[in-house]
Amino acid sequence: MEFHLDQRSGLPVYLQIVQQVKEALRLGLLDVGDQLPTVREVVAELAINPNTVAKAYRELEHEGLVAATPGRGTFVTETLVDPSVEHHESLRRALLGWLVEARRMGLDEESILALISSTVREELDRRVA
Amino acid sequence: MAWVTWRQHRPQLLGLAGLLVALALAALGTDLPIRAAYHRHALASCLPPATRSGCELIVSHFRSEFAPLRSAVRYLIVLPVLAGLFVGAPLLAREYEHGTFRLAWTQGVSRRRWLLAKTLLLGLLVVAAGLAFAGLAAWWRAPFDSVDGRIVPAAFDLEGVVVAGYAFFALCVGILAGVVFRRTIPAMTAAAAAFLAVRLGVEKGLRPHYLAPLHRTAGGLAPQSPTREWVLGDHLVDALGRQIGAAREDLAVAHAQHAGIDPQEYLVSLGWRRLITYQPDGRFWTFQAIELGIFVVLGLLAVAVAVALVRRSPA
Amino acid sequence: MTAPLETTALGKRHRSRWALRDCTLTAGEAEIVGVAGPNGAGKSTLLGLAVGLLAPTEGAVRVAGRDPRRDAGALQEVGYVAQDAPLYRPFSVGEMLEFGRATNRRWDGELALELLGGLAPRTPVVDLTPGERSQLALALALAKRPSLLLLDEPFARLDPLAGRHFLQVLMDGAAETGSTVLLATRVVADIERVCDRIVLLGEGRVRLDGPVEQLLATHRLLTGARRPLGRIRGVDEIVRERSSGRQLTLLVRTNGLPIDASWSVDEIGLEDLLLAYMAPEQLQAPPPPEPSRLRWHG
Repeated sequence: MEFHLDQRSGLPVYLQIVQQVKEALRLGLLDVGDQLPTVREVVAELAINPNTVAKAYRELEHEGLVAATPGRGTFVTETLVDPSVEHHESLRRALLGWLVEARRMGLDEESILALISSTVREELDRRVA
Repeated sequence: MAWVTWRQHRPQLLGLAGLLVALALAALGTDLPIRAAYHRHALASCLPPATRSGCELIVSHFRSEFAPLRSAVRYLIVLPVLAGLFVGAPLLAREYEHGTFRLAWTQGVSRRRWLLAKTLLLGLLVVAAGLAFAGLAAWWRAPFDSVDGRIVPAAFDLEGVVVAGYAFFALCVGILAGVVFRRTIPAMTAAAAAFLAVRLGVEKGLRPHYLAPLHRTAGGLAPQSPTREWVLGDHLVDALGRQIGAAREDLAVAHAQHAGIDPQEYLVSLGWRRLITYQPDGRFWTFQAIELGIFVVLGLLAVAVAVALVRRSPA
Repeated sequence: MTAPLETTALGKRHRSRWALRDCTLTAGEAEIVGVAGPNGAGKSTLLGLAVGLLAPTEGAVRVAGRDPRRDAGALQEVGYVAQDAPLYRPFSVGEMLEFGRATNRRWDGELALELLGGLAPRTPVVDLTPGERSQLALALALAKRPSLLLLDEPFARLDPLAGRHFLQVLMDGAAETGSTVLLATRVVADIERVCDRIVLLGEGRVRLDGPVEQLLATHRLLTGARRPLGRIRGVDEIVRERSSGRQLTLLVRTNGLPIDASWSVDEIGLEDLLLAYMAPEQLQAPPPPEPSRLRWHG
């Protein structure tokens, strides 16, 4: 896998790496036994401090997602694939239909996003309560 | 360090080798007529202790025939010195000029070792070149030397081990000037001036006295044709051995002329004779060894100072 | 374990001017330290002292526990790339590598070639671009596998693309060798993404020294209505104050407690933070040392 950096995110670089690995695990792009890029590979690609990469990998190791084998590399030991992932496709199709409907009713992107996020929050509040 | 030294000084060292080859070819080319004349005039039979009649004429003819060439060759004495300066002065000056001392002195070799290794290697090469030059000069000048001897400066400065000493000293002074001036051209100029001062000082001030000079009195009063010795002084002395000044001599000559006597005979009748102070040709190698020692020691001193300065440098 | 670099009360005087003074620093193993500061702040002097090119006027500097001025073994532990990346102009790339091999006891020629990427060994040094020259100088320094790598303004001669590439090669080499790196630069943006720690020099003195994350976490910009300044809750020290009209902007060092709610609080970027510490008006007029304001125990 390849990492990318968002300089403006304000998120420390090592956390960006941690997040990107987790995301790849969640999406099934990385599986148990897969090797993460070596520190040298990441460093030569992104021009960042090797200590930062090492710190990110330590963090992932600490969370039990990867394990480092001295001299060989860092390997994935746990996936984060959501069991619900098989339902994603049908849900996505339904959402697409809803979006087409919303567009037809004249909602622009901002209104759509506002509506979605307020609904998500509302639903969350109701569940917590 | 050998490879580094060779690579950094390659142009100068190749130039030096080329120069030696060119000199050898020139020597071969000009040597034939000299040897031919030497044999034609049967000069060998004029050399002491032989006493062939008319030798003075033959010798002076031989001398004048090749005088221009011989005096031209005398100027070649600058070559070993220039070689030393051209190799020595840039050694440190160029590192300063290009800022590469920051590279050279931050590797795993201490500055002292770096400088000593380079000096040693280049010193050996320059000494070898100096010896080659001296050998060539000695071979080329052999016919002249057999007539005039080798202790006279014209031969002494070009032949024998002192040439290597001059080249080595020039190299060391060049290195020292390089750390003092930190620019190649000023370093070379200053080193050349310093070399010249020391070299002339030694020749004029020290060399005549390496060993106490010998004296002899000449029979006649007429100046003698040069012999195989280095004449340091040639004076009129009276019967008591006291030196006669020019004024007293003029007075005596005037007196003789006034009286209508031959001045020469008159002076001889006064018991006056010529006292010659000289160094004999047989001291050639002793003098060479002493002078070589002086220049090698001076060179080593210059290197020691350069090492001390480099270790303190750049501040 | 001795630190790759340790200086104690280090000072260097050039004629009557102190180029560096009272500099006490320790760089840990594999740490990447940015040495920031304006021209004449003492960055090059610090690096020159660490590699033994300069002799200290006072104090001491140790590289892996050794004196770089006295001990040639210390030189083996330092890789140094001077400001304009000096190289021997008549040499080729391959000959420069041979130079490195010949003048160092420890020499990793394979690493040098790796770091040079596709640079042909037969290329003459004079034909190299500024970026390639810097890369070659860096490869020479890293092939020594030094404990300490010193880089003096490596980005000054490079365009952004070459600078980025240089940084990639540098980080690759640092990862491979585990060297501690000191990167001296005027432009903080060049090194912001790679430094564990920043040492800010100004007029020969250490103005600020700390891990980047900690510096960013403990400094905040406070904006609020103009008012007489007393103690502010959550603030350890006011680094700089600026007012315009009725508004007052403070750069403060926090102490971890919640900050007084009458201020609006913003994070600050590393570059702005260092600029604030460099700003001359602040250097001339430090806040009076009032213990009550400097330490607030609420």
